[in-house]
Amino acid sequence: MDVELTEIHEILCQHAPFNEIADDPQLHDMVRDIEIQYLREHEDIIAPGSLNQTLFFIRSGAIEVLSKEGKLIRRMNEGELFGYASLLRGGKSSQSMRTMEDSLLYRIPARWFLKLYEENDNFSDFFELERDVRLRVAMDSQNSDISLMTCPVVSLLRRRPISIQMDSDIRMAAQSMSEHRVSSLLITDNDELIGILTDRDLRTRAVAQGLDYDTPVSAIMTRDPIVMDSHDYASEAVLKMMERNVHHIPIMKNGRPIGVVSTGDIVQKESHGSIYLISDIFKQNSIESLRAISQKMTHTFTQLVVADANTQMIGNAMSHIGTAFVKRLLQLAEEKFGPAPVPYCFIALGSQAREEQTISTDQDNALILSDKYNEEIHGEYFEALSQWVCQNLDQCGYTLCTGDIMASNTRWRQPLSVWKENFSDWIQKPKAEALLRLSIFFDLRGIYGDKTLAKRLNQHIRKEAKEHSGFLTFMARNANQRKPPLGFFRQFVLDGEGKQSRTFNLKERGIAPIIDIVRVHALACGSDKLNTLERIEDIEAAGLLPDGRAKDLALALEMIGMVRIKNQKDQIEAGEQPNNHVNPENLSSFEKRHLRDAFNIVTRQQEFIKFRYAGKRS
Amino acid sequence: MSFFKKKPPATKVQDWQSMFAEWAEEAPEGPLKRYYQAGMISPNTKLEDTPLLALDLETTGLDSSKDEIISLGLIPLSSKTIRCKGAQYWMAKPENLLHAESVTIHEITDAELEQAPPLEAILDEILIALTKQVVVVHCVSIERQFLLEAAMKIYGYPLYFPVLDTMGIEYQAIHKPWWQRFGKQPSLRLDACRQRYRLPRYKAHHALTDALSSAELLQAQIAYHLDPAADISDYWV
Repeated sequence: MDVELTEIHEILCQHAPFNEIADDPQLHDMVRDIEIQYLREHEDIIAPGSLNQTLFFIRSGAIEVLSKEGKLIRRMNEGELFGYASLLRGGKSSQSMRTMEDSLLYRIPARWFLKLYEENDNFSDFFELERDVRLRVAMDSQNSDISLMTCPVVSLLRRRPISIQMDSDIRMAAQSMSEHRVSSLLITDNDELIGILTDRDLRTRAVAQGLDYDTPVSAIMTRDPIVMDSHDYASEAVLKMMERNVHHIPIMKNGRPIGVVSTGDIVQKESHGSIYLISDIFKQNSIESLRAISQKMTHTFTQLVVADANTQMIGNAMSHIGTAFVKRLLQLAEEKFGPAPVPYCFIALGSQAREEQTISTDQDNALILSDKYNEEIHGEYFEALSQWVCQNLDQCGYTLCTGDIMASNTRWRQPLSVWKENFSDWIQKPKAEALLRLSIFFDLRGIYGDKTLAKRLNQHIRKEAKEHSGFLTFMARNANQRKPPLGFFRQFVLDGEGKQSRTFNLKERGIAPIIDIVRVHALACGSDKLNTLERIEDIEAAGLLPDGRAKDLALALEMIGMVRIKNQKDQIEAGEQPNNHVNPENLSSFEKRHLRDAFNIVTRQQEFIKFRYAGKRS
Repeated sequence: MSFFKKKPPATKVQDWQSMFAEWAEEAPEGPLKRYYQAGMISPNTKLEDTPLLALDLETTGLDSSKDEIISLGLIPLSSKTIRCKGAQYWMAKPENLLHAESVTIHEITDAELEQAPPLEAILDEILIALTKQVVVVHCVSIERQFLLEAAMKIYGYPLYFPVLDTMGIEYQAIHKPWWQRFGKQPSLRLDACRQRYRLPRYKAHHALTDALSSAELLQAQIAYHLDPAADISDYWV
């Protein structure tokens, strides 16, 4: 009569993937087939090239995985499994495993692993051959929901576009629209999209004006309509509709329209908080009412998280909301103080510029003035305007920047030529400490006013940075300042103080380092992108990183970002002020494992840029 | 040169095999006789070839003359691995009511024991499990004494078996004479021993878990202190 060791069953069921299948009665049979092995530190468990027939569970201790060449690939500890990669490949191990500490291992026979793997999707999903695949799966499962924030705009398309030649008359257009039951028509000239005609156009521009039915459609259509690319997200289409006050957007693929997305499609799909929030912002005329809206933001944020939006989408939505506040406040300021005497551009810096804002963020902004600016004549106007805007942004929840990097600071309110000189100075004569504070200026986006000012400044920065490699050395060194919170891999290193003593700061130790690394590469390859993921694409295209490493960075960013966002959502729901501190005890073993992988990537890539941009030592 | 001479090598090898042969003659007909007749491995069997069986008893108290066995757990192992398959566990109904205090230690209730058979009914089975096995326990005297008394009572003849005592092994491994150590002698309790080898902590006082505990401890001790190629007679008691 064999009996089960409940002790072992319990322990297994506390860890992924067994916790997913804890109810499976087969697990009890599996536990009876387990063998237990004790190994001292530095002993080989699996030699490379050897045949492995066992899935190992680390009951206590720690294991290192080495490549054929003896290079450390990863370290694993209590509660983790290894050996499955070779089992999935038919037994031959490509890596070697050895103990780093005295370890107690549970040996689960291969046949049990293969049986559960085949029979149980929850179980098999857990095992993937490669670390980055594992990361990707983690994210895909978060995106499985087809919410507006996560689906590509093409998923909203329900039919091929209905189009009509530009020389058709409006009666034909109206007939075509009724026949196909559509609210818009694309107007083409030899297959090329030249305009769009909507129900509303027919009403307001034709019928209401009493035009003849044989008026050509080209007379009342909207020329050069706003279009989007098939790769764009549905949420971006919504934002665009709200911003530009249009109800139909043609979706293009390889220069040809493949369909039209209408507000109706969107409403049908989902009515989403963040979108209405933005249109509401533009309707407000007082600070009080804007502030009232800003208080709904946490709700919008949690809704997005619940809707399984990814970090890119959330960053995008939160940044658009932030930008909407700035724009509306500047509109109100121009009403209050009068139109600007010389052109200017209000610029966002840091996360808002990268479109990666989250909840609870402070403001980082500045002002570029036209070179026609004369301090004596115009100084007072811009002082008043920017003071008013920054103070009221603070009222709306975007707290004043502690480093005083705001348009309200005269130092950061300068004519374009002065800005250019500043940047030339920073880039040509870099000082490590100063650059640490200034790195935020290298993510700079014009959000209101004459955006060509921001564009010209950005061009200047790209050019200077590319020409001065010594500057990149400093930036690379600075990108190594903040290290991921992994102490010799055994556990997360906690770095909080006081109330946060059991936590580590995900932004400081995970997200910011990745952003810093990517910024250095982006400057090196002259990318004009600001968003970190878009920069990563440029970096990959420029071939600055070995194959697959650029993607690693994107995955790590998403992984860490997701944990941060989920944590912030939990904090909000617990009635706390959301921040970037995460207590590892509150993470699932799944999240911990992926965070470790992600931090691992950050550490390696920090090392990489240190050498990549090492520069010459004198 | 040291003042203290090394202990001379044991002249007489503890030979359980020949002792089993003697007891097989003497023992009354029945399960115990069959147990001895099955024999024991030779004293020059290597440790790594020795079939081992970790054993733990829970009892109503510590006095083997008054107290009784209420549960017994067994787990088979070799010098390298512990096999969950083959783990066995019995509960036995004591003749006297449980002392309230030991109930709280064992987490075995009166109701559970009411359902259990008396020890006589299961000792035959236990003997079959123990056949030709070297038993692994933590603190040999308790387990050996209780089983010996039980056999006396049930079969009218004592039950003996060779033991690897993890407590004894630990004592030899870490014991230092007073002039070589500072302060207190390290604890030899099972849990304390396990911590020395960084083994995980278990809830104690379930016969099967404790058997697993001492099995794991023995694995660690073999990894650190014993020679798997040495004769079992160097270690068994």
